[in-house]
Amino acid sequence: MSLWAIGAVKSLLVLVFVLQLSAFLLWIERKGSALIQNRIGANRANIFGVVPFNLGFLNTLVADPIKMFTKEDFIPAGCDRFLHALAPFMALFPALITFAAIPFGDSIVLGGETVELRVVDLDVGLLYILAMVSMGVYGAVIAGWASNNRWALLGSIRGSAQMISYELAMGLALVSVVLSYGTLDMQDMVHAQGRTVLGFLPAWGVFFQPVAFIIIFVAGMAESKRVPFDIPEAESELIAGYFTEYSGGKQASFMLADFAEVVVVAGLVTTLFFGGWQFPWLAADGFHLPLMGTIEVSALVVTLLQLMAFSLKVLFFCWLQILVRWTVPRFRYDQLMDLGWKGMLPIALANVVFTAALILARGEGS
Amino acid sequence: MEEFSLSVAAFYFMAGLTLLGAGGVVFTENIVYSALSLMVSFFGVAGLYIFLNADFVAGVQVLVYVGGVLVLTLFAVMLTHQIAEIEVSNKSVGRVPALLICGGLFLVIAKALRGAEFFTTPGGQVSESSTYGIGNLLLREYILPFELASVVLLAVLVGAVVLSRKEVIAPDGTPVPERETIPLTEGQRVMSSPRAALAGAAAKQKVSDV
Amino acid sequence: MNLSSVESLAYSLPELILVFATVGILMLDLLITRKRILGELALCACGGAALASALLAGAEQGYLFNQMVALDGFAIFFKLFLSLSAFAAVYMSLGSRELDNEHPGEYYTLLLAAATGTFYMASATNLLMAYLALEFVSLTSYVLTGFIRASRRGSEAALKYLIYGGVASGAMVYGMSLIFGLAGSLDYATIGERLLVPSEANGPILFIAVLLVLAGFGYKISMVPFHMWSPDVYQGAPLPVTAYLSVGSKAAGFAMMIRFFYVALSHAGAGGVWATIEGLEWPNLIVLGSIITMTLGNLAALRQDNVKRLLAYSSIAHAGYILMGFVVLSDAGLRAMLFYIATYYLMNLGAFTVLMMVLNNSDREDMEAFRGLAWRGGALPAAAMAVFMFSLAGVPPFAGFIGKFYLFAAVIDKEMWMLAIVAALNSVVSLYYYARIVRTMYLDQPLKSDPVMTTDWHSGAFAGVLAVGTIVFGVYWRPLIDLADKSLVFFRG
Repeated sequence: MSLWAIGAVKSLLVLVFVLQLSAFLLWIERKGSALIQNRIGANRANIFGVVPFNLGFLNTLVADPIKMFTKEDFIPAGCDRFLHALAPFMALFPALITFAAIPFGDSIVLGGETVELRVVDLDVGLLYILAMVSMGVYGAVIAGWASNNRWALLGSIRGSAQMISYELAMGLALVSVVLSYGTLDMQDMVHAQGRTVLGFLPAWGVFFQPVAFIIIFVAGMAESKRVPFDIPEAESELIAGYFTEYSGGKQASFMLADFAEVVVVAGLVTTLFFGGWQFPWLAADGFHLPLMGTIEVSALVVTLLQLMAFSLKVLFFCWLQILVRWTVPRFRYDQLMDLGWKGMLPIALANVVFTAALILARGEGS
Repeated sequence: MEEFSLSVAAFYFMAGLTLLGAGGVVFTENIVYSALSLMVSFFGVAGLYIFLNADFVAGVQVLVYVGGVLVLTLFAVMLTHQIAEIEVSNKSVGRVPALLICGGLFLVIAKALRGAEFFTTPGGQVSESSTYGIGNLLLREYILPFELASVVLLAVLVGAVVLSRKEVIAPDGTPVPERETIPLTEGQRVMSSPRAALAGAAAKQKVSDV
Repeated sequence: MNLSSVESLAYSLPELILVFATVGILMLDLLITRKRILGELALCACGGAALASALLAGAEQGYLFNQMVALDGFAIFFKLFLSLSAFAAVYMSLGSRELDNEHPGEYYTLLLAAATGTFYMASATNLLMAYLALEFVSLTSYVLTGFIRASRRGSEAALKYLIYGGVASGAMVYGMSLIFGLAGSLDYATIGERLLVPSEANGPILFIAVLLVLAGFGYKISMVPFHMWSPDVYQGAPLPVTAYLSVGSKAAGFAMMIRFFYVALSHAGAGGVWATIEGLEWPNLIVLGSIITMTLGNLAALRQDNVKRLLAYSSIAHAGYILMGFVVLSDAGLRAMLFYIATYYLMNLGAFTVLMMVLNNSDREDMEAFRGLAWRGGALPAAAMAVFMFSLAGVPPFAGFIGKFYLFAAVIDKEMWMLAIVAALNSVVSLYYYARIVRTMYLDQPLKSDPVMTTDWHSGAFAGVLAVGTIVFGVYWRPLIDLADKSLVFFRG
């Protein structure tokens, strides 16, 4: 099997995973919000009325996309047509390719060749992710500017300010994570989390960098511009913010980009702090349970378990973000900036210093 | 002419992208298009870094320039009044002489560069990742420029704040500090700080009492 | 001696003092309400830096921070000189009415930051370090120039400065990249070694690279044709900043230029004579620059009515004079340069101090503000100003004359008659506009409307000290020229 084919398969796999999960999240979000708000939610999906029960998620997997993409693609007068068309792609593109550096399984041997279960083997994976996340601003900025609409422009100004502010806290928190792992390679980080500490606890990053976890998770949510950080779209103030003037497929792309960002944040947090694809106590040759000895498992099962562990963890963090979204009200602009600059940035900085001092004290730095 | 290969093609593609973007920055009339062309150029440069096996530098290039500097530029463009529609009053600012001079300079430099023999280091094994090397260089050999750069940034930050502060001259010629010049409506004041609004209302009460 | 980073800290006390004071003032600004303390603290820091620089004089020569900067006689001379320049700028700022209520915390932070940058400009032996230091000084200078927001002229000047500076430093860094490509090293000494081997093919591109780098230096020292920013910036900036730019940042530019051209692009021969690397005749280029610079500066100064602008053009002309010592490629020329820069400090800062006193008194800086100064309570400032003006013109028995004498001696020793004749003619021309100020102060009678000159004692004392210095070094210059002589040590590994 050639490298090209493997690469293509891996890329496709991850792309489909992210896209499907995004669409699926839309359904979870609609049902979940209904649950939280004590109503029924999307319940009208059926195929020509012949299925005796409600096909809930068909709503979002089939009906919603069909509806979205068959709507009129409205382009307002006086807008910049080129940029107006470009913006949805600028929003979607970075969100989709960020996942390329996140490993979703250990390397497997396939037809005599070792295949890493991630799209690209990047030594600077974390840097790549940070770079791509930082590019997410462009969709919002260009959309708002190209629309020739005050609300949209206000939304994109807010969006760029917000994302720049939170990127700093996120970057600094990532620095402390990198300090404790000693690498920028995501796969190495996941490998490092395969150990156990004190004989039973999986050596997940969250136990070593709890502060960084909280900061990255919060900043990640802010980067995805969703409630409570949705002031760029703030529908009660700015109609729909930077995508006020979008409809049809383009608007769907923005929504998809939002959900893809949710998946990316979940993937990032999973990989950095919750062992990535590591199944607790599962090594390449089987389970090493504390107190109970070893259970041998075949390589195929190990790989499948790893894939499952990764998917479940990602799904959990997606769900957590949706839960937060429907629980917490939107920040006000000044509260948002205060939290970013006066709250999270100093804490992240202190965390870096603390981590570095600890490493120095333990004599790990050479 | 070099032998055609994929890497040569990739190099020319990246270099072309860089130049195309740079040209776009200079020649487009619309400032937002200029900024976006600059992004293309930055990406081309990042591609060239990858081509040189400097993946860390490429990542930082995208992170800092595309994700940071350019976003701030766009931010500033949008905050500035009608900067996109500004009319340049003097359209004939000596384009022909400028073209002649720059073209001449280009030809001279290109001519000189063609004959030049640049210093080459003996090709060695390219290490797997440049991150460790860069980290070590920055904190050992180049620690002084590294630290000086941080002082430069601090000074520039202070300078930017100084230059962008708002100051209005009162009729008697004394500058008025910023916080007194922003006219907040009562509603805004309540929104932004209820306590300050109360204090303000109390002060107004006193003035009217007098 | 070639020290690594931690070991070098012991030898960078002056810079450490300045950096800590920079950050300290910024933080202290938040805590205290009596803002004058900030300026006094900055003054102490500059004094401390000067003292620390002087203490370094006995230290072993060598590289610091892994060959980034050199600790040698030349660097120490300029560190001492630059900390005194910063001291003068801070001192003048404390006495300037222009800068009252103008955010002293940020102002002194930026001023000390600029001073730190000039230190590294003078001692950098690495292209990266040199460029970084130059940018540092430039960036802080832009802000300081436009520091008074209410002044439209200041803001305009800052913008012009920024644009010219951006172009110049862009050209410079391009030239540096070409040099790096040719030599394969950023280190001056290594560049010098590798470029020593003459190469037919690399001649043209090396010349272009040096030309491009010269744009950056020329801009810093306001050499024609890179001088265009300086009249507007000198006129628009707050007066203490103008004084600092004309003395401190210009001297740092000269220091950086000397180190680059002499250490990287020349090599020392016997008997204090230097030779350029083969095929690169940069002195001819700079001779031309020197001639045009002094002529243009002097001719333009003739027509000026604004004294600040006049001093700006005079400063351009003086850059031309100082370059005379640069092109002769001998220790005598360099010694004359250092001596002249030191005397220029005394007389130019003195002139700016008197101008500031007049400005504080009458809010004007044009020629009319000086009308009959001697007869309306300003006898002492007028006398000091006369000393500075005659010294700037190069009239004996003042320090400026001795400085020019050494420069001419170095040039004539090399038999560069053309340059010497032009410079002599220029000195005569310059006498006209310097003497015009003196005439206005003494021979014109004050009008009724002219305010009585009142002098605050500290500005007066400062002008007095500078005037005494100008006279003393005009009569007894031995110690200064000895110091310059001893400082001509370039460490090159």
